[in-house]
Amino acid sequence: MPSEYGFYGTLLEINLTEGKINQKKLTPDLIENYLGGRGLATRILYENIDPSCDPLGEHNVLVIATSPLLKTKAPTACRGHMVFKSPLTGMLGSSNCGGTWASRLKSTGYDALMIKGKASQPVQVDIQREKTEIRPAAEVWGKDVHQTTDILSSQKNSSPSPGILTIGPAGENLCLYSAVMNDKNRAYGRSGPGAVFGSKNLKAITVTGKMSPPLKDKERFQSGLDQALYMMKAAPITKRLLRELGTSGLLKLIHLMDMLPHQNFQDNLHNMKELDKISGETLRESILERVGACYGCPVACQTHTRVGEKKGEGPEYETLVMIGPNCGIYNLKAVALANYRCNELGLDTISLGGTLACAMELYEKGILDKKTTGGIPLNFGNESLLPRLVDLIAYRKAFGEKLAEGSFRLASDFHHPELSMTIKKMEIPAYDPRSSFTQALGYMTSPTGACHLRGGYAVSLAFFGGTKEIPRFSIQQSPLAIRNMQNLGIIQDSLGICRFTGFAFSTEPWARMMSGATGMDFSTSQLQKISHRIASMERAFNLQAGLKEEDDCLPDRFSHESIGVEGKDKLISPELIQRMRRDYYQSRGWSPKGKLSTLIRADLQLNKRYT
Amino acid sequence: MNERKWRIPSQIIRLFQAVGRASLLYDIQDSHSGNMALKHRDKKGREQLIITASGSQKGDLEPQHLCALSPNKTDFGYYKASSETDIHSRILNLKGINASLHAHTKDLVIATLDPERKPNHPAPFIPADPLGYQALGIIPVDWFRVPSGSPEMIQKIPQRLKDHSATVIQGHGVMTRARTLQEAFFLACVANNSGYIFRLLEKHGVEIEPLRKKIVSDSYSCFSFPAPYTLQDDHSCDFSHEEELVKEFQKTGARIFESRLSPFHTGSFSLRGVKTMFYAPKASMPRELGGPLLEKSLEKKNSDGYEEKIHKEIYSQSNFQTAMHCYIPEAEVLTHISPPGTNSPPDRLVPVDAEGSFFYLVIPILSSPPEMDSFLQLLHDYKVVIVRGGGVWAVGEQSLSEVLHHPSSVREICLYRLGARERGLDLGKMEPAKAKKW
Repeated sequence: MPSEYGFYGTLLEINLTEGKINQKKLTPDLIENYLGGRGLATRILYENIDPSCDPLGEHNVLVIATSPLLKTKAPTACRGHMVFKSPLTGMLGSSNCGGTWASRLKSTGYDALMIKGKASQPVQVDIQREKTEIRPAAEVWGKDVHQTTDILSSQKNSSPSPGILTIGPAGENLCLYSAVMNDKNRAYGRSGPGAVFGSKNLKAITVTGKMSPPLKDKERFQSGLDQALYMMKAAPITKRLLRELGTSGLLKLIHLMDMLPHQNFQDNLHNMKELDKISGETLRESILERVGACYGCPVACQTHTRVGEKKGEGPEYETLVMIGPNCGIYNLKAVALANYRCNELGLDTISLGGTLACAMELYEKGILDKKTTGGIPLNFGNESLLPRLVDLIAYRKAFGEKLAEGSFRLASDFHHPELSMTIKKMEIPAYDPRSSFTQALGYMTSPTGACHLRGGYAVSLAFFGGTKEIPRFSIQQSPLAIRNMQNLGIIQDSLGICRFTGFAFSTEPWARMMSGATGMDFSTSQLQKISHRIASMERAFNLQAGLKEEDDCLPDRFSHESIGVEGKDKLISPELIQRMRRDYYQSRGWSPKGKLSTLIRADLQLNKRYT
Repeated sequence: MNERKWRIPSQIIRLFQAVGRASLLYDIQDSHSGNMALKHRDKKGREQLIITASGSQKGDLEPQHLCALSPNKTDFGYYKASSETDIHSRILNLKGINASLHAHTKDLVIATLDPERKPNHPAPFIPADPLGYQALGIIPVDWFRVPSGSPEMIQKIPQRLKDHSATVIQGHGVMTRARTLQEAFFLACVANNSGYIFRLLEKHGVEIEPLRKKIVSDSYSCFSFPAPYTLQDDHSCDFSHEEELVKEFQKTGARIFESRLSPFHTGSFSLRGVKTMFYAPKASMPRELGGPLLEKSLEKKNSDGYEEKIHKEIYSQSNFQTAMHCYIPEAEVLTHISPPGTNSPPDRLVPVDAEGSFFYLVIPILSSPPEMDSFLQLLHDYKVVIVRGGGVWAVGEQSLSEVLHHPSSVREICLYRLGARERGLDLGKMEPAKAKKW
């Protein structure tokens, strides 16, 4: 196995149909051009998949990649990135996760893992430096995430202990927004990777190893590290706020900015006393047991909570709002319990909340009734329904069969697709796009559908971006602002680091750490170029999967039903959508219809095979 | 003069008030010092001389503190008008001149003091900074037995201002003349800035005469980004529909001026969109005086000014959304001070203060005119670059606030470094070891 600085140059390919395991060489220029993580995984995927394939069929491919910064002291560098064709959107599925699993994957001596084919029976994959095996998973198939993790951990009495990546019943039952979990509660949540695992009869992947590639230039690495750590200790968000309140501490701030959705994004009106019941401050005082951290993370934003006898993690801000106020629910314990259950069953809480909210609106508008819902009164605010609904969805039972398809298919089946708050069929997260042109454009142009992370987290730019704060209703600034935020996200996902570092510093320390780790010369401008390349690579995949300009759009509600923002009625008109979208395309060097230019295609070298 | 003539148009009152307040903010006036005058034609086409009243407080001018006089004959308005009215009146008779301003430019006054027995003929002041020389050229300095409103001043100063845009009354202040009051204020600010730079260079033992000789012999070779003062509508705005951004631009311009990051109406900053950039060509702009806010195509054109070209060049080769250019006097001074143990001009500024050295281990210094590729590369890598004789350039990834932070920090870094040097501290020991390798 070739050993390079910062990476091994090795991809592990597992073909479940044939039961074959291969090691493939990854050349250093792949790292130079795509960094690692998201960039590396997307390139490998593109070379090994037909983007028009059936996402739940045998020909879908799933790639998980690490970065050269994993297994170094780089703060928060523990994250893996998973790409595949999404069964929810039919476009690129792209999901990022913390915890410990990705670092443990790197400890096995592989930079990336590619899963192809479909096993004839449920299997688990066991990866070790010396040997990789595909084993039957009959014992854990049907078990939830926590049970599976406990069983597989107890089976492997190894040191170090194994990292376990698994799906729950939601993935096995092909719920279109099912997640892949590690460390029990950390999720590759969005785009439905759990269903892709399930469709391949792949239950879990365990990884065990002790390897760690050497650093090329320790001094250069250290200079970047010193600066990064200093900045993280200096910035209140990374040094204290996230640790003390978790992401749920955002709730009141987002409400004050008139951005907190209510009842399927019908408005943004909330009673402050109701919000007090579910705020981050209340979470800390009522259900928080302790904080926790991902591997190598000084931020420690994990909230380990307890409701009665039940222990779990969260809720995070997104979960809190999507299952809470967006469904008209202001009961912290009810949301926390639903969150715990989603983690056990392996469900994306954002899409779950968005789907439930859509169903509730359909119900309250009389489009659904008890006959269609199997007797369930799906009113907004009906928190007592949550435990039952989550289980019905994960097991696709009764009305859960419809809900497991996500809100777009649900609303379309009942002839009201306009009530699905989705983009590219993916549910919009917990920030109302009418409150920020920049965020709206981010949702529209995210390669994976409505995602605040892949689409660019404009919220921080508008409300807590420090010197980088920008106006939220600037037509001039929004396209480039969101493009730059997306690029920053691409760099972070590709380096395997957490979004939260962006609250303390930008890319300069990462450029130094990456250069020190690999011995390659990564300047900030080079990171920018690479992020552009990765964005176009993702676009290339989506275009081949059938993406059209009109898919980069918002639901009609946001163009026709205004909300009050800072005392003014706000909408995103169709004309504005079109203008910002065109400007965004131009900022990427794409055609007015969002196609790749010859120049960009040449840069991508789409016909070249790195793997 | 009849009573009606005292009705000075409100826009002129506001202009005088704005320039008065700005001069006080920039510390080129004390409470009652200085005066300013403007040639004006009323609605009937009659020429008027509008001038500040004697003893008026320039920072708090009320309408009654402005006098509208007949330019060529005495009328009752002279009871109230500035004691230097006759000087202004003659200056305003110069061809093409519409405004004049007298200010107590303290740094320039100090820089032009001499210990010679009086009367004497003081040496003219030659700015040691290219910006000052480019805007003002050589500034005459004259000693007057009675240095306020005296007949000899009435005779001498307008003569001086025939050929020069500014002249110094030794031990008293500067007199400038221009096409507009804003331009006259600009000249006074730049002149004082030159005096300030001279003082700092002298204090830090920099040989000034070679610098001056070089500038006089070929100022353009020393000056990267010449920007002659242009007359534009300072309240024009091409992007008034972008309310939030207009506010950001006004706030940023005011901050540059008030925080002394660049003399009045010097420098530039911009924010790019996809096809166009919003551009403030007179970056340092107090709120009430403003400066043009333009929307410019990002396409490069032969007709683009040099300053505008740089902004477009930055954007064409980067993802940066904002760019800024300021003339920070302290930074210009430090580009001429050799690092400890060397005799050559520095290629980097090394902060010695805690926060400065944390944010910027080094700040690159380039000679004028800089080679564009390395200038852009350094901007990419360091976000801020000092050009010897050409000011400070900075870029931001997202916002105007972000790009403003760089020159603001640079000024502070420079002040600490100069201060430490003045105290005789060993800068070599204070500089982080890593900075020497960068």
